[in-house]
Amino acid sequence: MPGEGGSQISLPNVRYVVAVASGKGGVGKSTVAANLALALQQGGKRIGLMDADIYGPSVPIMMGVPTVDPRTTPFPIERYGIKLMSMGFIVNPNQAVIWRGPMVHKAVSQFLTDINWGSLDYLIIDLPPGTGDAQLTLTQTAPLSGAVIVTTPQEVALIDARKGLEMFRQVHVPVLGIVENMSYLPLPGGERLEIFGKGGGLKLAADAGVPSLGQLPIDPRVAECGDRGDPIVHCYPDSPVALAYRQLAAAVERELATLGEQPELPTLPT
Amino acid sequence: MGQSGAPHPVALRRESVDRLLIDWSDGHRSSYAWRHLRDHCPCATCRDEAGRPPDPFRILTPKELEPRPPLAPLSMTPVGHYAYKITWNDGHDTGIFTLEHLRELCQCAECLQRSDRQSGAE
Repeated sequence: MPGEGGSQISLPNVRYVVAVASGKGGVGKSTVAANLALALQQGGKRIGLMDADIYGPSVPIMMGVPTVDPRTTPFPIERYGIKLMSMGFIVNPNQAVIWRGPMVHKAVSQFLTDINWGSLDYLIIDLPPGTGDAQLTLTQTAPLSGAVIVTTPQEVALIDARKGLEMFRQVHVPVLGIVENMSYLPLPGGERLEIFGKGGGLKLAADAGVPSLGQLPIDPRVAECGDRGDPIVHCYPDSPVALAYRQLAAAVERELATLGEQPELPTLPT
Repeated sequence: MGQSGAPHPVALRRESVDRLLIDWSDGHRSSYAWRHLRDHCPCATCRDEAGRPPDPFRILTPKELEPRPPLAPLSMTPVGHYAYKITWNDGHDTGIFTLEHLRELCQCAECLQRSDRQSGAE
């Protein structure tokens, strides 16, 4: 059966598949995934964004895609020059998806195999929080090039971010690095107000021996534009946070380039 | 390869009809009897059964009494970059063997000596 542990999904026309993960919910992972995807696209790359959060998909609202009729709409949907796929396109936003693991596994696998992504430089996968079914499916079957871990500065987020990082270690998926979201509020005089604590992302990166990919400042316009379906790097491209996203995109590209190819494991000849 | 630097298989080979050879990236060559791997299947059901004492009153089922072909693997395929799934000709296929577990199960002379020394020291 396709998608059971052991069946590898091949995406030969996708150069890099990057998962955006966090141990914890609420750190802004979907916002980071959407803006990272857009920042890469603004740099001239061909990008896909796949929403692997089956229970709480964020991509439709973040990218301003209205509810569509899945029977007549061809997928993936294009918006801001990016190809998108999400459970939110198939299910009414007011409907809860109350599914057991095997169905989540099937949906996530189908998003990879049954959607015509075409040729992409990067497929960004917005993972749900935690270390459960969607993550297992993807690490067992998808050709993940690497993972970006999102955290906020405070200790309680770090505890869970460490778990997410450890999960990728156990399944031998390279961790490209840590990005600290909601790092600080820039004040008019040039100081920084560290609302959510300080230094957590850098500390986690140092402890785990992975790169720090940057710090994203707080900007109330992120939420305002995000809720309107216009990610901040498109909405206010000259804002400090949009600049930080472009730096994040450059850091991700750099880390992927230094990694090189991870060879496939050999199979037993028949 | 990858960030951990942990050794990974570079080749898998069948040796005679009942053994598996794995060549690792650190130069180690592992040898296993297929039976040994099957007996150490890490799936939840097998681990549960392994933990229970044998039942002296268990009666064999007709299926178990039927003549069966010798145990053989039907396939051994990668799971991501971190494990292998083995499907067996006895129908069992739920075991996912991580690379770390496979190294621990190695039955080559060097590894067997090392584990003898370790258990002797206990």
